[in-house]
Amino acid sequence: MVKATADWSERSHDLSRLLARAGLGDRAAFATLYERTSPHLFAVVLRINRDRAQAEDILQEVYVNVWRAASGFDAAQSQPLTWLTSIARNRAIDSLRRLQTQPRMRASGAPADGRESEDDDVYDTVADDAPGPLDLLSRAAEARALAACLDQLSATQRQSVALAFFQGLSHAEIAAQMREPLGTIKSWLRRSLAALKSCLQSAVQREGH
Amino acid sequence: MDYGRSDLAEALAADYVIGTMAGGARRRFEALLPAHVELRRATSAWQERLMPLTAAIDPVQPRGEVWRRISDRLDRRRSVVAGAWHRLSFWRSLTGFASVAAIGLAVLLASPRPTAPPIVVVLAPTGAAASGTSAAPIVASISGDGATLVTRPIVPVAAQPDRSLELWAVPRDGTSPRSLGVLPSGSGATVALRGKVLAGVDTLAVSVEPQGGSPTGKPTGPIVYAGKFSL
Repeated sequence: MVKATADWSERSHDLSRLLARAGLGDRAAFATLYERTSPHLFAVVLRINRDRAQAEDILQEVYVNVWRAASGFDAAQSQPLTWLTSIARNRAIDSLRRLQTQPRMRASGAPADGRESEDDDVYDTVADDAPGPLDLLSRAAEARALAACLDQLSATQRQSVALAFFQGLSHAEIAAQMREPLGTIKSWLRRSLAALKSCLQSAVQREGH
Repeated sequence: MDYGRSDLAEALAADYVIGTMAGGARRRFEALLPAHVELRRATSAWQERLMPLTAAIDPVQPRGEVWRRISDRLDRRRSVVAGAWHRLSFWRSLTGFASVAAIGLAVLLASPRPTAPPIVVVLAPTGAAASGTSAAPIVASISGDGATLVTRPIVPVAAQPDRSLELWAVPRDGTSPRSLGVLPSGSGATVALRGKVLAGVDTLAVSVEPQGGSPTGKPTGPIVYAGKFSL
């Protein structure tokens, strides 16, 4: 098995126990769980919502929810790190979708319109030299059995997957960013995901699980 | 719409998990999840597929302030949480840790419904060769609602230094066993509470695993104790 996948499962293994303890109301276990997972979840949230103050609020909501839901976590259904990361991404994406009705929203890493009128301390963004979504996708590919699967996608398909997954962009936002019709983006993504799925499934079968 | 259709469930779940689903549709999708097993299954499959991609993101340490705020909010919820602790105290008391008074309090606080009696499962040695296991069984008690499990060896157990003993819930339909955690060596009791992890389960088993537990999430070593039960 490829190393990063093993790391993911290994970390999950320890986290299962912490989550089970937290589910019983054990605050010390929950604090340890926070210590071990919050830098990852915060980074995931910040990729999607780059406003640091908002990202902190989201992180707070995520962990309050985790505390409430910990006893319902089902280790048979999902790995803890997958579960936690999903909650964090969902909250971050929800925050973006809500922002879409507000003037301050911006679609991507590009500077927001009218940003010069914002107080930079309030609008504290991630450093611009942070790796882009495609860099992250290729890093992920190095680490995972995904490499071969991602290779099968065209460059534009890969870009649409990276923008959707790492930046939390909607179909319309990806279409705007890539200057392609909405319908084209939708079918690229649908085909990319179907290809990834079948490719990953046969990779798993090859590993003999 | 028929959300039980797996191709539809697949497409919706993929759209939801990758994050492109629009706001209103996201909320509708989330509202549908609890009632539609096919959607839930497809969603967790997509999460397992895609979330490891986030391992590529460099971690960012949040300010200490964030934890302080979380902690404050949990303090305000303490009275609710007390229920869970008293429930734990209740089961501990059955293995001789807490006073009768605590049982009364726990029942009052945590049991609006009548409490079903616990089920005791005896995990007998299977005879599979493994040093450190003994001829005496391990006893597990499961709360009547299936939510809490306490195991206790009759005599101290210890795996080899580089091995751990891991407890598994084995579903009767032949699907993969679910880990309930690693047993401590010696005679300590363990408590596992995993929501509905015992649903559909009719056997508890203990296997010998690499130190810290199975690296694959499934039993890899010999089963050294096993016991059947019905909830």
